[in-house]
Amino acid sequence: MRLFRFLFSLAATICLVWFFSSSLSVKGKDLPPLGSFFNPFSGFWKNGEPSTGVNFEDGTIPGLSAPVKVVYDDLLVPHIFAENVADALRVQGYITAQYRLFQMDLTTRKAAGRLSEVLGERTLKIDRETRRKGMMFAAENALLGWKKSPESLALLEAYSDGVNAWIDQLSPADYPIEFKLLNYKPEHWSPLKSALVTKAMAQTLCSREYDIESSNALQYFGRDTFDYLYPQWNPKQQPIIPDTGQWKDWHVLQPPPAPEAAGTIGALLNAPNGEMPEKPEMDRYSVGSNNWALSGQKTKSGKTMLSNDPHLNLSLPSVWFQVQIHTPESNAYGVSLPGTPGIVIGFNENTAWGVTNVGQDVSDYYTIKWTDATRMKYQLDEEVRSVVLRVEDIGIKGKPSFLDTVRYTVFGPLPFDYEADNPLRDCALRWTVHDVPDFSTLDVFLALNTGKGYNDYKTALKGFDSPAQNFVFASNTGDIAIQVQGKFPIRGKEQGRFVQDGSKWANAWHGFIPWDQVPGMKNPGRGFVFSANQHSVPPSYPYNYIGDFEDYRSRRIFDRLNNTHAATLDSMKAFQLDNFSQRAADALPAMLFLLDKKALNDAEKQMVAELEAWDYRYDANKLAPTIFDAWCDSCYALTWDEMDIIRKAKKPVLYPDGWRWIEMLQSDTASIFFDIKETPGRETATDVVLESFKQMEDYFQKNPSKKTNWGESRPFAIKHLALIDAFSRLDLKPGGHKTAPNAVSNSNGPSWRMMVELDKEVKAKGVFPGGQSGNPGSRWYDNMVESWAKGEYFDLQFLKTAEDTNEHLLGLQTFSPK
Amino acid sequence: MKNFFVSTLLIFALGNLCHFGLPWWGIVPIAFVVAFLFPQSGFGAFTAGFLAGLLLWGVNAILLNAANGGDFAGKIGQIFQGLSSTQLLYATGFMGGLLAAFGALTGQWAKDLTVKQLEKDYYQRRRRSGKYY
Repeated sequence: MRLFRFLFSLAATICLVWFFSSSLSVKGKDLPPLGSFFNPFSGFWKNGEPSTGVNFEDGTIPGLSAPVKVVYDDLLVPHIFAENVADALRVQGYITAQYRLFQMDLTTRKAAGRLSEVLGERTLKIDRETRRKGMMFAAENALLGWKKSPESLALLEAYSDGVNAWIDQLSPADYPIEFKLLNYKPEHWSPLKSALVTKAMAQTLCSREYDIESSNALQYFGRDTFDYLYPQWNPKQQPIIPDTGQWKDWHVLQPPPAPEAAGTIGALLNAPNGEMPEKPEMDRYSVGSNNWALSGQKTKSGKTMLSNDPHLNLSLPSVWFQVQIHTPESNAYGVSLPGTPGIVIGFNENTAWGVTNVGQDVSDYYTIKWTDATRMKYQLDEEVRSVVLRVEDIGIKGKPSFLDTVRYTVFGPLPFDYEADNPLRDCALRWTVHDVPDFSTLDVFLALNTGKGYNDYKTALKGFDSPAQNFVFASNTGDIAIQVQGKFPIRGKEQGRFVQDGSKWANAWHGFIPWDQVPGMKNPGRGFVFSANQHSVPPSYPYNYIGDFEDYRSRRIFDRLNNTHAATLDSMKAFQLDNFSQRAADALPAMLFLLDKKALNDAEKQMVAELEAWDYRYDANKLAPTIFDAWCDSCYALTWDEMDIIRKAKKPVLYPDGWRWIEMLQSDTASIFFDIKETPGRETATDVVLESFKQMEDYFQKNPSKKTNWGESRPFAIKHLALIDAFSRLDLKPGGHKTAPNAVSNSNGPSWRMMVELDKEVKAKGVFPGGQSGNPGSRWYDNMVESWAKGEYFDLQFLKTAEDTNEHLLGLQTFSPK
Repeated sequence: MKNFFVSTLLIFALGNLCHFGLPWWGIVPIAFVVAFLFPQSGFGAFTAGFLAGLLLWGVNAILLNAANGGDFAGKIGQIFQGLSSTQLLYATGFMGGLLAAFGALTGQWAKDLTVKQLEKDYYQRRRRSGKYY
């Protein structure tokens, strides 16, 4: 009897411990093991940091050659004072891991197609797509290139070792909360992971192409109508580098002949598709940024000024991590990308620099002509080539791994050959991001960090291949410059705009624009340089290029910079926070002019009055932007019902640019495209404008809660990286619009706002929508979010020595060699 | 009765060794050993264990939560379908209590196994007549 009850109790105890150690599934969600999660020794309670007080402990890091001091300010920015660059980067790695380890892990998992290892089968599709796109292949190739310079590699390894020094001293009690929630352990870092971080950014910035959409449109509409609908150059554009005669004497490399039109690969285009493609937003451009530099002639102080606000998907923790790196040779401050060493956007004692994305299309699809049904051999001119197979082993939590075989051709991988109903099924992807680089991209930023003037800037940029960026520059000796820097294929006319025939080697890329012939500008007479993702150059530039370019922010910023005199840092703030939309200023007058106000009732006339009084600013407290935005979307959609018909037949198709549509509203109102296909009559722009107005009004009648101020009406969210709502900020209602310089949209916007004045004492201000710490239990997790939403900035603490004192500094820690 | 308080105190005190490297379920073997060394009734052992575990996990969690100001627990509560930080504290205490309770009960019943049957009967008779051992 006593034995029985003892055994029973023992069994019950063991079961209880086992129960609290296992991962249960409730309503399809995986819970962490309750015991390890709830206990106060190693569970989530430990992740809630004290709300007051700081404690910066000294430590040791193996591999340091000398002690390194780190001063923290009240934004938790680490100011690293080291004797040499390798030590500084080692500590940068250590500290970045301390605050952003989960972000570094998730970003690299996503880029490597390894999400399913921790998130299970639901991410298998994404992982497959990532692998098939060749992201890991790209990272491996990047590392091959970086290994060409042993000094470079040593610095990369120092950073990586620093990260690992942090990971090695972690006990499970100290794991970031996401590791505890998802029940997995952090793993070691490596230079390959740093490569994955850069490739993840490249994926965000330069993976877009519309080859199949354009091919379908060309086939459907024919050449003349295609040119009518999709002109590549907006006459109102202010290109980044205007033509000042600088190209006329260039010895230019001969472009290849234009490839045959897509019509010859009609079989591909008529292939059945799987799903109906989604309806695109008006104006495809989403990621973007602004930057500019003013020369002393335009500023009050007579010193140069530089501004940059990169626009990215907004998340918590933030994309960027602020840091200062001081060595005997240089002193630089700015934002870094967690997982890569150095400072990406920032300034030092003599210069400042920033980046915006270049809209050039550097991804081309080529149809592969198989020689047999096994699709292992393909025709290339007279030769028959074999594909190279790459097996991707995708681990899945709790299940056996999934093996995916990807075919690689001389052009690149076939991302979609496993989807029988994908029009790109037999197409290989040629993407600059796959290429082995000549120089280390990371060296570019390390060189910018230590540069002293214009010549250093030019040397630093040479060889930066992807993702192509518009690098803006200013120095304290008065120079300003901008360069459209990247690896751009030398294209035939319109080459790459459509899917190309991969059975002819003539259609491949043969060479890239030489480094000294990428567009650039230094000290223009007008006193400023700027970019906002618009066209790099006008059509007179001697090389062909294609891509997606922005049409509104750039014109507005040009106007403001052109008309500014005696600018100060406050003027720069006003430019960055400008909610004025050039698109609204172009479209609304045309729409109001065409609107038949006699056909409106009183409520509708009230709306018109609201719109007529509007100043085209997407301010949070205004109603007019909400009304306009709904009307404009409706009007654009109604015009392009022809595209909808193609899309509903499950073919992806290009929609015309917003600026082109506005042109038609202004001066081509009888265009056949204003006809609504469903109706027997022939409509003109007037009818479309009226009908869409009525549709908009009807929508607000049925959804009265949506008819509210702009800030309230749009669902702005800064989401946690793992989409955990509790760790996200869903309560903010900022103004702004993607067509305004303050390019805030639903979950995208200025991920860093920085402005610098290159006086003897460099003055800088900055803010980003998040915080330095990636721990939701830290008071520095999202402490800058509200300031960012309100348009406020912080003074950046650019320290001279580790012994500097001011009221913003919280403490000092010293890392010693082990 | 004395053993009840001693057990509770000892399990609580030794349980804090979990701060220094013992696994989170360390309270289970600790409760087992303490209950084994300080015998009482099964019910007493279970209750002492429960109380000690409740306090061990609960107080430690309360201290961490208070230093943080309660914000973080609020966020975690949201993940668990909208529990409040107080409810999370109760859940934490309850888990600790349950673990220690069963550990102690098993220890007590293990102890009972080692005592010869006659002696056990003797003890029982003595207890029922109102005297403690």
